[in-house]
Amino acid sequence: MPYFEEIELGDEVGPLVIEASDDGVLEFCRVWGNDAPSRFTDAAIAEKDRFAGPIVPGIMSMALMARLFTDWAGPEALKDLDLVFRQPVPHNSPLNISATITDTRQEDGENILECDVLMTGPEGQRYVGGKALVSLPSRT
Amino acid sequence: MFLDLHSHSVSSDDSRATVEQYLKWIQVLRKREYTVDGFVLTEHRKFDSHLDYSTLAEQYGVTVLKGSELDTRYGHFLVYGVTEALTRDIDFSDVRLDARVLMEAARKHGGLALPAHPGRFGIGLVDYMEQGEEFKDVEIVERLNGGSRPGENERASDLCDSKSYLGIGGSDAHLTSHIGACLTNFSGKISSEGELVEALLSGEFQPVWLEDTKV
Repeated sequence: MPYFEEIELGDEVGPLVIEASDDGVLEFCRVWGNDAPSRFTDAAIAEKDRFAGPIVPGIMSMALMARLFTDWAGPEALKDLDLVFRQPVPHNSPLNISATITDTRQEDGENILECDVLMTGPEGQRYVGGKALVSLPSRT
Repeated sequence: MFLDLHSHSVSSDDSRATVEQYLKWIQVLRKREYTVDGFVLTEHRKFDSHLDYSTLAEQYGVTVLKGSELDTRYGHFLVYGVTEALTRDIDFSDVRLDARVLMEAARKHGGLALPAHPGRFGIGLVDYMEQGEEFKDVEIVERLNGGSRPGENERASDLCDSKSYLGIGGSDAHLTSHIGACLTNFSGKISSEGELVEALLSGEFQPVWLEDTKV
């Protein structure tokens, strides 16, 4: 578990390298309660919607990006995740998720980190980017 | 003087960085011995004439200038030296602007409009030129763009070499830590939007990567 006092501006979190497989997306959609064939799970529907193939749901991309922080600092660390979806996220392709700590502050008794967070593709495509607020404990 | 000529603050709908966050991050870059003297806010489809960053800029010792990035039917164009008269002449929110009309209007009003990320696949100026479109007023393009995918800056460089265009650099930052990724190195000092236009017209500048600014 990282401590607030150990953090310096510019520190990196990650990367988390992960793939959203066809089966993984289908399972996510089932848990989500949205498992009817859709652009997320069906190639023909995705093509009709002008995508090259089925895409990862935005809410799943968000969950994957949240995991970067919860893996790093625990399940209660992530306070806010504000994302911009810039390009469709494809299935079965490596997704590189990383964050950079850009500011630190103490607010209402909490130690808060501001982080840039980015999900990129294997050729550096910027799929999703945004800002996260993370709370870390003090060493003392 | 190293200026990042392409950046977006939260005033653009797809950015999550405030101007003060950029200013703080530049202090981090300076501690790492990079040289970033300032940046130009080029918000999407608008010009924030009412916003004044001079107090913040002075507090952090960074030059903050304002411009715009407009959508045209031939890709995105960066506009420097925006005046009230130009905003009356051109509808900045029109995503189907004719880039040629924009370039001419910008010059008429003392500003300058030039293609952003011309090598961007599908929407950059290179694609339109390959379709036979001609742009006689283009003399400068954004040669280095920090948001480019592999191959896109190379296409912009090829364009510059083949047409003898001059090139600028800008990060296209939408996140705090991306500011300054690419910059433009000017031979003289620039402290206003008017001086920026003059410096661009003088041709005395080079696009650079952040790594090139290390002391």
